[in-house]
Amino acid sequence: MTEPATFRPAGTLDSATALAPYNGPWDRRHAAHLLRRAGFGGSPADVERIAALSPQAAVEGLVRFPDTRALAAGPDLEAPPIPPRGLYRGFAEGMAADPEVADQRKAFQMQRNASRRRNLIAMQTWWLERMIATPAPLQEKMTLFWHGHFTSSPEKGTTAQELFAQNRLFRQYALGNIRDLTLHVAQDPAMLRYLDNNVNVKAHPNENFARELMELFTLGIGNYTEQDIRESARAFTGWTFRHEDDGSGTFVDAHARHDDGTKTFLGRSGNFSGTDIISIIFTQPAASRFFATKLLAFFVYDDPEPQLVDQVAALLVKNNFELQPVMSVLLRSSVFFSERAYRALVKSPVEFVVGTHQMFSVPKVQLAELGTLRTMGQVLFYPPNVKGWDGGKAWINSQTVLTRENFANAAAQNPEMLQDAAWVARTLRTMDPKTIAGALTQTLLQGDVSPAAMAQLVAYLGGAGQAEMGQLSGENVDERVRGAAYLTMAMPAYQLC
Amino acid sequence: MKRSGFLVGAIGGLSVVSSLDNVFAAAFAQAPLPGLPGGNDRVLVVINFQGGNDGLNTVVPYGLADYYRFRPSLGIPAGDVLRLDDTVGLNPVLAPFKKMYDAGNVAIVQGVGYPDPDHSHFRSTEIWQTAAPRTYETTGWLGRYLDDAGLPKDNLFNAVALSNVLPEALVARTTDVPAVDALRGYGLRSDRNGTDREAFHEFARDTTVPFRSPYLNAVAEIEDHAQRGAEELPKLVAGYTPQATYPATPLGRSLALAAQIVGSKLGTRVLYVQHGSFDTHVTQKATQDRLLADFATAISAFYTDLAAHGNDRRVMTMTFSEFGRRVAENASRGTDHGEAAPVFLIGGGVKGGIYGSHPDLTRLNMGNLAFNTDFRSVYATVIERWLGRPSLAIVGGSFPTLPAIA
Repeated sequence: MTEPATFRPAGTLDSATALAPYNGPWDRRHAAHLLRRAGFGGSPADVERIAALSPQAAVEGLVRFPDTRALAAGPDLEAPPIPPRGLYRGFAEGMAADPEVADQRKAFQMQRNASRRRNLIAMQTWWLERMIATPAPLQEKMTLFWHGHFTSSPEKGTTAQELFAQNRLFRQYALGNIRDLTLHVAQDPAMLRYLDNNVNVKAHPNENFARELMELFTLGIGNYTEQDIRESARAFTGWTFRHEDDGSGTFVDAHARHDDGTKTFLGRSGNFSGTDIISIIFTQPAASRFFATKLLAFFVYDDPEPQLVDQVAALLVKNNFELQPVMSVLLRSSVFFSERAYRALVKSPVEFVVGTHQMFSVPKVQLAELGTLRTMGQVLFYPPNVKGWDGGKAWINSQTVLTRENFANAAAQNPEMLQDAAWVARTLRTMDPKTIAGALTQTLLQGDVSPAAMAQLVAYLGGAGQAEMGQLSGENVDERVRGAAYLTMAMPAYQLC
Repeated sequence: MKRSGFLVGAIGGLSVVSSLDNVFAAAFAQAPLPGLPGGNDRVLVVINFQGGNDGLNTVVPYGLADYYRFRPSLGIPAGDVLRLDDTVGLNPVLAPFKKMYDAGNVAIVQGVGYPDPDHSHFRSTEIWQTAAPRTYETTGWLGRYLDDAGLPKDNLFNAVALSNVLPEALVARTTDVPAVDALRGYGLRSDRNGTDREAFHEFARDTTVPFRSPYLNAVAEIEDHAQRGAEELPKLVAGYTPQATYPATPLGRSLALAAQIVGSKLGTRVLYVQHGSFDTHVTQKATQDRLLADFATAISAFYTDLAAHGNDRRVMTMTFSEFGRRVAENASRGTDHGEAAPVFLIGGGVKGGIYGSHPDLTRLNMGNLAFNTDFRSVYATVIERWLGRPSLAIVGGSFPTLPAIA
């Protein structure tokens, strides 16, 4: 295994036209590229629909979210179980429990963990099925982007209700104002707990949130000092939350625990609150460059050139950090539709799984698929650390690739596939290896296949070393086509976004 | 004479062949296994005690009076402890492991930890896996060793994780490590007659596609590795016969497979095994005793098996847990997340004994044991003294090594 120093695409950026509207050829290949990046790939019918529009209309249809009220509003979540009265009597004082009481506590703990697990499964299933079904794929893609950016996890006992509220926040601000979203995140119970701001009080400042806010959420290392962290942590003292019986949390600004003294932050002084700190952060040139880099690496290609970052950063500032107009320009841009950006990213496990469901019109997600996603390295609502998923090359190793191939095989063997995916059934009836191979590679890979691989696929379908297709029974043809669909998804292009 | 029986017998290393075949069987038995380059080199096995194992009830400081003050219900009576010296002894469920200690094959490093410890399972595990308490690294410490060691690039089994998810410790830049939960179920599912497998080989390697991607070569190469590895491993280890009885537990199965991979001489240098979960907040004793007893039985079987194949001196095992547990038991006969804990180094190449003193129970760090050996010192010891590589870049600094390797 060799690894280049960078995964920036080969070739040179044309800075003069990078963000100018793309005006080259427009076909299903471009439409599919747009849908993979601004969504999860979509169904073959979605690709046809987008290909029939102008690039401008296609992008406008994605950044102006259609009505999603027909989708299930949220998962059914259990309220956290309440311990039986008296079970924890004396616990806070450290009084040792009788063995029977300890056993009862163990039973209660297991009940609580089981409930938490059921809630997590419900949330993951609900979100994946929403990604598959939504008429507003970019809304879910941005929600996923923010989930990997402003990370929180159940790690510190965060309830499902709190995590779901955070997920709703990300969806609400999917293409909203980034500064406003950052402020809401700073007051979000799941985040307050995950980065310990609920214990950040005047008497004992805790710098965890202040540090990550600047290092990983807004500015990047090198754009602030340790002193700025200490001072801004003081500004966030007293920001905490109240537990509600249904498991949710409500933001509380506890004035008594807030440090009212003067703070000096990034060269300014005043009795700053957390809100002031976030406003000051967003006046820094580093903030716009930080978000520009992250958006480009997620939507266009890795390690974007500084000139490109500066152009997108300027666009963010010009739009006062409103994301919708910025994404509208970015997704219509020449650089986005350039050959350099084409298949220049690795599909994340969620993109891989959701995209495959859309391709074969399978709306339901099975429990086993949640385990599959874990083996592939991405558990929704459980980012690996505060930095989020590394993505890119980190998605791909022997283990994750085997899991991806086996998932593709299971998808191809899924009985629903041939029934519900009209394009497969239509193709199947021709009984012609060339037609079937053409349809599979066009639909699954937009024809991104070498002539040699195409010839092999035709030979496989035709029965190289086995019975010819014309001699097979219907059942055996079915099996052969499923095998060919799997092989098509095993080609490297299917791993790339 | 059944020819098939002869072949099976010879390859399987079995002696149950007919008398006419005995001559040939003996000749086969003496011939070295085919083996790959490096097949007889040293091997490191890492066992991760997941969830935070309570070090105090593993290596018990029965000689420190405070131990019983902090552990009124969980304390192990001095009379039950398997004594190692006047201060510490092993949990009685570790009896098979105590025998290995008595034979000089176990080094116990006391009070291992790091400054400003994290108490979250995720983050603390990540710190141990990446050897980086202050930064977020994209490679693991074992991954960095593998990249650095100059191992043959065409060997698909330079390291193997015996798990279904690749642990971060083995994430490398230029070495691809397969994760194999069990041989059964490992590999590609494909059609019954296998014709699509052949086609898969070709597709996976096909990079003459009508697009350019900076990731194309990396993806194609890893697809090829994954495919070949999954096909080859079961064949390469098929000729091994275990010479010990392992417990029928996940750990027992993992270590049996580890011995099989070592014994098949594939050039594997690092194996990674998981055991747990030790997260014993409530009624700790039953859970911890079960897991430690399983460990003792499985590790004892592992070294019996290795020794029967002449591999015990070239395999060293290191255990670790993301943290120890709070010194004072909680009110639910359990313990909460703590800090320092002992690490075991096991094998014929180890200089047995106790390294470092037990952390002081009268000078706790917010109720937790203060560490006296940085975990990166243990890593440096393993990298330098066992695997024979410089450790500076791998563990991210200069840490003194311990004289625990013979």
